Amino acid sequence: MALEISGTDIVRAAAMLGAGIAMGIGALGPGLGEGMAAAKACEAIGRNPREAGMLTRTMLVGQAVAESTGIYSLVIALLMIFVVK
Amino acid sequence: MEEIGKISQWVFHIGGTRLVVNSTTIIMTWVVIGLVLAFAWVATRGRGLIPGPWQQIAELLVQWFKELVHDALGEAYKEQYFPLICALFIFLLMCNWIGVLPGMDEPTKDINTTLGLGLMGFVIAHGTAIKVKGLKQYLKEYFEPMFFLMPLNVVGEVAKVISISFRLFGNIMGGSIIIIVVSHLVYGLLLPPFLYGFFGLFVGTVQAFVFTMLTLVYISVQIR
Repeated sequence: MALEISGTDIVRAAAMLGAGIAMGIGALGPGLGEGMAAAKACEAIGRNPREAGMLTRTMLVGQAVAESTGIYSLVIALLMIFVVK
Repeated sequence: MEEIGKISQWVFHIGGTRLVVNSTTIIMTWVVIGLVLAFAWVATRGRGLIPGPWQQIAELLVQWFKELVHDALGEAYKEQYFPLICALFIFLLMCNWIGVLPGMDEPTKDINTTLGLGLMGFVIAHGTAIKVKGLKQYLKEYFEPMFFLMPLNVVGEVAKVISISFRLFGNIMGGSIIIIVVSHLVYGLLLPPFLYGFFGLFVGTVQAFVFTMLTLVYISVQIR
């Protein structure tokens, strides 16, 4: 039985591959950025432990904002997996 | 695993146009509104000088947000915008938390909810700007610092709506998909409660707070 590979199969495979690449590269930047924010927050808390609550809150909000580029790549990856047929 | 891509919809045909309504989102939004109203009723029932536990929670929330709005907008606009900001936070918090209950879905899992809320913040911020600065000054700010930068400024304003709504949507949607996939991988053993705790309660709280704070910041940027 000969294996038939049609155009839609190639499109589907490319979409899956693209989703993987988008997620892998897109997660790189937010990961680095959030790690840097956490490192700086740790330094600041070590220097000034009394302000720990406020620093943690500010750090979390900043990280959630920095995370958004990763979230965009997640949305694109989901679109490629579920919408591209 | 099959439930990931599925959306339940109601389809209406009114005068030749086809209306598609996401039924889950509508029903869950009304459930959330009911929960918020129930919380308000419980918190304000029999209120007194010595607060009960529910009144204590409500007072903490209200006081905290009053300080936040005061810091961001100043004395003059505090009373005007505090109810909006506080209500937005409580609504989003309930929206993000309700997915933890079995059989319930987050309304914020649907892009329409978050895009609607983002557009609401956009319209309020720009309406405030026109009211405070006047139409002429408001339009003039688009042509600063140089005349030909006007398209960039307009794109920057529209991108704010996209960014704020996709951030909330992507976080909640991604969290729920990760919960479904990982629960499937471990046959529903041991891990799902912790995943619900992290993605439902922790990420939900942080994202609700971020959405509220960004709406507040957009308003305060337009006022200054």
